[in-house]
Amino acid sequence: MRKWVIGAILVGLVVLGGVGQEPQQGGILRIASIGEPPTLDLMVVTSDLASSIGQHIFETLFTFDKNYAPIPLLVDTYERSEDGTEVVFHLRQGVLFHNGKELTSEDVVASLERWKNYGVRAPIFFKNVTGLAAVDRYTFRIVFSEPFGPMESLLAFNNGGPCILPKEVAETAGPEPISPDQYIGTGPYKFAEWVPGRYIRLVKFEDYQPVTAEPSGYGGRRTAYVDELRFIPVPEAGTRVAGIQADDYDYAMDIPADLYDAMVADPNINTFLLTPPIFPLLFMNTKEGIMTNQKLRQAILAALDMDPILQAAYGPLSEANGSIYPKGTAWYTEAGVEAYDQANVARAQELAREAGYNGEPIRFMASTSYITHYNMALVITDQLKQAGFNIDLQIYDWATLVARRADPGLWDMFLTHHGPVPDPSLLTPLSPTYPGWWDTPEKNALVDAFNRATDFGERYTIWEQIQALWYEYVPVIKLGDAFTLDISSTQVKGLDDPHHPALLWPYFWNVWLGS
Amino acid sequence: MVTFLIRRLAAMVPTLLLVLTISFFLIHLIPGDPAAVMLGPHATGEQVEALRHAMGLDQPVFVQFLKYINDVFHGDLGQSIFFHKPVSQVLLQRAETSVLLALCSMVVVLLIGIPTGILAAIRAGTWLDQFFLTVAILGASIPTFWLGLLLMLAFAVKLQLLPSSGFPSIFETGNITNLRYLILPSITLGFANSALLARMTRSNLLEILKEDYINAARAKGLAERVVILKHALRNAAIPVVTVMSFTFAGLLSGTVVTENVFALSGIGRLVVESVLRRDYPTIQGIMVVVSFLYLAINLITDIAYGILDPRIKYA
Repeated sequence: MRKWVIGAILVGLVVLGGVGQEPQQGGILRIASIGEPPTLDLMVVTSDLASSIGQHIFETLFTFDKNYAPIPLLVDTYERSEDGTEVVFHLRQGVLFHNGKELTSEDVVASLERWKNYGVRAPIFFKNVTGLAAVDRYTFRIVFSEPFGPMESLLAFNNGGPCILPKEVAETAGPEPISPDQYIGTGPYKFAEWVPGRYIRLVKFEDYQPVTAEPSGYGGRRTAYVDELRFIPVPEAGTRVAGIQADDYDYAMDIPADLYDAMVADPNINTFLLTPPIFPLLFMNTKEGIMTNQKLRQAILAALDMDPILQAAYGPLSEANGSIYPKGTAWYTEAGVEAYDQANVARAQELAREAGYNGEPIRFMASTSYITHYNMALVITDQLKQAGFNIDLQIYDWATLVARRADPGLWDMFLTHHGPVPDPSLLTPLSPTYPGWWDTPEKNALVDAFNRATDFGERYTIWEQIQALWYEYVPVIKLGDAFTLDISSTQVKGLDDPHHPALLWPYFWNVWLGS
Repeated sequence: MVTFLIRRLAAMVPTLLLVLTISFFLIHLIPGDPAAVMLGPHATGEQVEALRHAMGLDQPVFVQFLKYINDVFHGDLGQSIFFHKPVSQVLLQRAETSVLLALCSMVVVLLIGIPTGILAAIRAGTWLDQFFLTVAILGASIPTFWLGLLLMLAFAVKLQLLPSSGFPSIFETGNITNLRYLILPSITLGFANSALLARMTRSNLLEILKEDYINAARAKGLAERVVILKHALRNAAIPVVTVMSFTFAGLLSGTVVTENVFALSGIGRLVVESVLRRDYPTIQGIMVVVSFLYLAINLITDIAYGILDPRIKYA
């Protein structure tokens, strides 16, 4: 009886301690990252680390809520014309850049123009744009030749996306990344200093104008509680963990899966599995060489047993899921998934015979720059050899692999991973120019129809057809889902709030340091 | 001596030029493109070409080489593609960490290497000799990666006596106590590098201790400590100084594993990262600086020979 009472009191204390905890201002949040980004000019790079850091400085017209749905951020309201080709946007008023200047439609138009010319993901957006202009101080218009369904998602996605810069910066910026003295955004933190190899410092922007809505994922009200965010490059994962345990860091990114159990068991550490997951992909060269044979690609797919492949790289932080999008997301579908994870050697050999395969070498590229890729490549090679395929595994550093995969004469398969994207239109396998070169009339027609549709139901139906085609044509094999593990000291508060889910690029507004 | 110095300094110039030329063309032979690496996998071919043009990478290699040589002779090592800063500035920012780490590690090397070598020599064939030899082999065999993490776990995580990683600049903060960040990395590096020095000291001292003049010194009644430290050690010093100088040069330029483990922004880590990023100007700048360091340390070592052994004269 006594033990029960003591236990109840202790639980009560813990609950009371958590409830009603007021955020505290001040302090420096020390974040151990895996390295340094190439630049913080988010328009021209797709580095995850650049987005993780840069999203605190730069904002976009839209952003994503906790369900990864696009919602307005710098935009206040917008209207589509009846035929869906013309969209008029009204900006929030009184939003300030870090240099004190107010955000106007001229800044937005100049930023979108720069994105059009040099932004990595801009070609998808601007393919059908026929007009872009400011209407008045806070209003601008975009005109499309036909309705464009992914518009909000692309305007929300800062990774290679349209971060809003001051007009004077955007107009003079060329293809080279802008310099650090031009890192001027509207975000809750402003750029302070970048000492290469040591840290990137962002400091609280005192004149930040937040959205008034309740926080939801990246959207809603953003409050900068800590005075400074300090991103410190710590390449070695063991050092990131030791640094948290030694109280030298407050947050550490990207912890290996084999440390998951130990981190969960540590009472001084909070763990976060970031969602949505990334997903490893095995690309096939459908332009030139032996893999132009669809039956052979289907044979490779039939042979693979996904669980051992995923376990070799991601351990318990993986899931064999054939849907391109994970469960719980709006785009999840099981169309075509019966072809996933067959692990059927007999079927693979039958398909290979039908393809006329006679043991020719299949050149398979992977990189040791990502140890997960290398580990998966070894298992894939072994499985395929067991099934009778002659695999020529070629290992390169990432820069060399990227150079070689641009030449269709040099490879048949290569391994990479794909970050989650809010809209299927951003999936690289759907691009006819991305190495792999899936460029068939049927796919192109479906993608065009998908991008023209503005109703979600209609888009979802077309997406199901695309995924089914994906599994029939096999331009790329999805291996599964992999979850990134981050950790923090228990002194970091706000990260476990339901309105602050652990999304792939961790964000540190609405976060504070407890005593 | 002056003539000798001038001749050696003059000889450095063609050597450095040769290093520059070979490294420039070798680096450009490696597949991979800094523009493509920077923009990432989603960039179109047109976007990569636009950035290559903006960076001047679409020029013929020989044209790029001539421009680079011209800049170097004007004191300009070029602009880092990754950091968008002068290479000289990038290197200077790393220099503090590398120099201090090398110096602190060298202290550990000397504190472990020379005494253990001496003790092993004067107690040659005994259990003490075997013990020191075993310790030396351990030092040479233990991966620095493993030793560094072990020291970090013990002293930073469990005992919370020292910081786990990183190194705030002493010049920027004015805080000399920041040297405590280099204690664990220095022990890691020092232990690993002391093995060779210990073995070299032991074997050279053993040879010297067999010489007649050592017997004569003992016969004169000199204390054993004086015989060893004043007479024997000095004559055993030349090969030991050679090992010390190249150990120091290696510590200055090539400690990438330790720098990665302890998150130190030194030259070693910069080299590897620059190669992976294809940051050509930074790689070339490092080649030039490291080559100059090796040449300079070599020269200082040769001068030291003359001081240690007056029989050595330089024309």
